[in-house]
Amino acid sequence: MRSSVVVLVLGLVLAIGTPITWALTRPDATAGVTVEQAIDAPPSTPAPSSAAPSPSGAVPPSAPALDLPPVTTRDAAPTVAAPVPAPVRVSLPAQGVDAPLDPVGVAPDGQMELPEDVDRVGWYRFGPVPGDDGSAVLAGHVDDREQGLGALAPLRSTEVGDVVVVTGANGAETRWQVVSREVITKEVLPLDTIFGREGPPRLVLVTCGGPFIPEIRSYRDNVVVVAEPLP
Amino acid sequence: MGRKPETTVQSNGRNVIVNKTRPIALTAGATGAFALLFAATPALADTHDTATVSVLHAVPETPVDVYANGEELISDFQPGTLGGPLTLPGGEYDLTVYPAGADPESAEVAISLEDVQIPAGANATVVAHLNAAGAPELTPFVNDTSAVPAGEGRLTVRHVAAAPAVDVRAGGEVVIDGLTNPNEESVTVPAGDVSADVVLAGTDTVAIGPADLTVAEGASTIVYAWGSEEAGYELANQTVEAGASAPSGVPGGSAGLAADEGMPAPLVGLTVAGLAAAAFAGRKYATSRV
Repeated sequence: MRSSVVVLVLGLVLAIGTPITWALTRPDATAGVTVEQAIDAPPSTPAPSSAAPSPSGAVPPSAPALDLPPVTTRDAAPTVAAPVPAPVRVSLPAQGVDAPLDPVGVAPDGQMELPEDVDRVGWYRFGPVPGDDGSAVLAGHVDDREQGLGALAPLRSTEVGDVVVVTGANGAETRWQVVSREVITKEVLPLDTIFGREGPPRLVLVTCGGPFIPEIRSYRDNVVVVAEPLP
Repeated sequence: MGRKPETTVQSNGRNVIVNKTRPIALTAGATGAFALLFAATPALADTHDTATVSVLHAVPETPVDVYANGEELISDFQPGTLGGPLTLPGGEYDLTVYPAGADPESAEVAISLEDVQIPAGANATVVAHLNAAGAPELTPFVNDTSAVPAGEGRLTVRHVAAAPAVDVRAGGEVVIDGLTNPNEESVTVPAGDVSADVVLAGTDTVAIGPADLTVAEGASTIVYAWGSEEAGYELANQTVEAGASAPSGVPGGSAGLAADEGMPAPLVGLTVAGLAAAAFAGRKYATSRV
């Protein structure tokens, strides 16, 4: 009879303790501050020096006028903008990520375009170059049914403090430090913040994560990692 | 340029109220120029009280001086150049244009425009140009700074040339048709470089161009068709920041290889085994008590 009580208690401990232990020991979905805090916050370190392309065409102001603001004039002939120097490579050594970058835009469905090749990562070319003011967005497929896991699959285990290195068009590197990792349901992803073009320089890495929903052959969430510039 | 652009037509001079006065006199070389406002105060930080104003000189062959409320704003302003953008207090301005180097005390006015209302918060471009008949005029345009979809830019065309109605083509395809002086029309197109030209309305007779230009993403790219038959026709370009939009999402995977799984099967088994053992023992205990 006593043995029955012991088995009863042990059984209950096992039944309740196993799921609780599993839940407590699995990796956190988030690390560091939230994505929105990380992007809006002032930088804790100075921005890497990256020369922004200087707009051409500014002409010295006309003759000084006492009370009037200086008026600059320029030739108004149509011009083609110089191509923006696109970054070429991203690496996250602590997680074994090292992938070439492709400039990408907007897909016909309105979402950010991503490279078909899951081993490559897209840089959103309408946003800033990494190092310029605003949020530079790098994103890639987490996997593909034929190609397997993508280059950014390890993003979900990124830790605060991990270093990200972006190689620019001229070979110069900018270095970044992860301050935030968050798994966010796609419906509530703060797109205007993630793709913001103002504010201090930020590097934002995005891929998919969370549960897979077979009916729509897609993931429920996005994994978003925000990094600040390192000197 | 694959998508059919959505067309929005804007009336000329929206939000800008103008009382045009006839040109008092044209000096011998005919001329035009324009002017824009004046700002008495150098500190103009508050965007609630100020307007952003640019000035385009689109009268061929005639350098001018531009005065606003009696003060010289731009001197020796050359045709085909853009002045500004200036930050000015909202309000009324009298604009006067003289041939370059003329003494405003004695010279005759080439073009004038009185009581131009530049509302605070507006972004406007005042254009000195020829009307369809070839007479100089000043026309204020309000620049559209409303947001465009992600990946797209607004292409605005303004007809300020001494010419009849025209069609505007981008990449060989008509995007704006039947535009007349001094009106404007806008389309939203995918951002990028385009080859634009202007043809006589309804024909393939090229009047201006082609010229390559960049339609910037998240901005209004404004193209002016200006000039005259005698002096030749040209295009001028101005880019005004508009609101950029974010993409609607970030896709990401199609296989489920990286999915967050539920509890692994061995742990599920352990949990079930615990429950079974507890149930069995509990039942045995209860039975033994009877």
